[in-house]
Amino acid sequence: MFSFRYVMRETGQNLWRNILLAVATVVTVGVSLAMFGGFMLFQVAVDSATARWQDGVELIVWMNADADTDEDSSVRNQLDESPGVQRWEYVDREESYEEFREFFEDTPEVLDIFTAEGVPPYYRVVPTDPDPDVVEELGSQFKGKPGVRTVTFAGDVIRDVQNLSNRAGRVLFVGSIILLGASTLLILNTLAVAISNRRTEIEIMRLVGATKWFIRVPFMLEGLVQGLFGAVVAMISNALLRTYVIDQFSDADGLQLLAGFKVDDAAMLRVNLLVVAIAVGVAVIGSNLAVAMHLNE
Amino acid sequence: MIKMEKVTKVFKGDVVALRDVTIDIGKGEFVFLVGPSGSGKSTFIRLLNREDVPEHGRIYVAGRDIGSLSGWRVPFLRRNIGYVFQDFKLLQKKTVAENVAFALEVIGKGPQVINRQVPAILELVGLSRKMDRFPQELSGGEQQRVSIARAFVNRPLILLADEPTGNLDPTTSVGIMRLLERINEIGTTVVMATHDRSIVDSMRQRVVELDRGMVVRDQARGVYE
Repeated sequence: MFSFRYVMRETGQNLWRNILLAVATVVTVGVSLAMFGGFMLFQVAVDSATARWQDGVELIVWMNADADTDEDSSVRNQLDESPGVQRWEYVDREESYEEFREFFEDTPEVLDIFTAEGVPPYYRVVPTDPDPDVVEELGSQFKGKPGVRTVTFAGDVIRDVQNLSNRAGRVLFVGSIILLGASTLLILNTLAVAISNRRTEIEIMRLVGATKWFIRVPFMLEGLVQGLFGAVVAMISNALLRTYVIDQFSDADGLQLLAGFKVDDAAMLRVNLLVVAIAVGVAVIGSNLAVAMHLNE
Repeated sequence: MIKMEKVTKVFKGDVVALRDVTIDIGKGEFVFLVGPSGSGKSTFIRLLNREDVPEHGRIYVAGRDIGSLSGWRVPFLRRNIGYVFQDFKLLQKKTVAENVAFALEVIGKGPQVINRQVPAILELVGLSRKMDRFPQELSGGEQQRVSIARAFVNRPLILLADEPTGNLDPTTSVGIMRLLERINEIGTTVVMATHDRSIVDSMRQRVVELDRGMVVRDQARGVYE
């Protein structure tokens, strides 16, 4: 029994009557979601740049691309028997090549040089003690072994990048949660003003027999529209952040460490969908609170 | 059409608005509710519309116990009850026709019904030629006619009017009463709370007098006092 035209007209009128408050709400929702989106994108980019070094991996034993089975078994046995190794994971040639392709997907000239056969498999090793001296001592046991090409360490720079990212991420995350709370309250307040402005209409609607949902829906849609416009602001911000900040890092000459610092299209889509979902959540909570507190049907 | 059985309504602070009220109003009756301020007239009307529920007793409208209605059915009860306010409560940014159409639109009636019923009801209340005017361009009497048109456009079984002439001069009030009388003649039950002695005395309809929440007089073809 809902008239689509009626609901659209009433929602539009509500927004237009409180246009300044509506804009303020959209901006606040947009900024908070943009902060949240930024936090997510940086996490994705840092994870991408330090993918091999996640979950406590402190050293990587790179094998020669042409290492034979005996050489491989010898390294495995030593990893199994070494008390300094908590756990290890083998990344075979195909997986390694796949990682390599992802890592250099923006630089086809590098991809052209290597084939799957030329990319070495490797072991990701989590030591029992992350102390740099102990890790270095552990790594040295593998250096020079037959079939081993080299041993690399997480090193201070990787750790610093991860720590900085975690700390900056926490600040962004907490900030965005606070702003999302403020957004919810602002949507609530905007709707409270809209309800107050229309109290005569609402009283008439009640008395002539409009149903509860007929009265509520335009207000709830108003909240939803504000939330979705906020999400659009945040998605624009995400796109700008990706193009002008994150991609600039990965393109910068000499910053080899940041070569993998990027956000692919799938991750971007995931972050944007999350932003929209949160916007809808904030709008639904704010709208429901407003109608429950202020709309006495 | 309306039946109250031993109805008592108590507000916060043990203020008794209605006490043990029993009354029966038949279909097509015209009933004046009279009594001093605070005697319970408005509460009586609010209970009929399920804006309030009594602490004790039962209220039947068109044979249905409205106290036992679940919340989602209340709007459908109200579609059978028109409501006229003392202060008109017209929407200032809507024209006369839009104000009346609003009552149909919000209960989901389509344009065909609206385009048929709105001009007909404006004809009945004598405002056909002012349907495109805004409320502030109308006199008080005309505004109350619009309010009555809005209350009656859905052809309710009952029309409740809470001091509908309270803001009008005596001459205009007579016009409004003629209109309510006409609506009553069509078969609509009218219950009107009023302080207007001259109107009650001139109409000679049923008079129910309330005092401190109790029915102290129920007189067919009665007078104000």
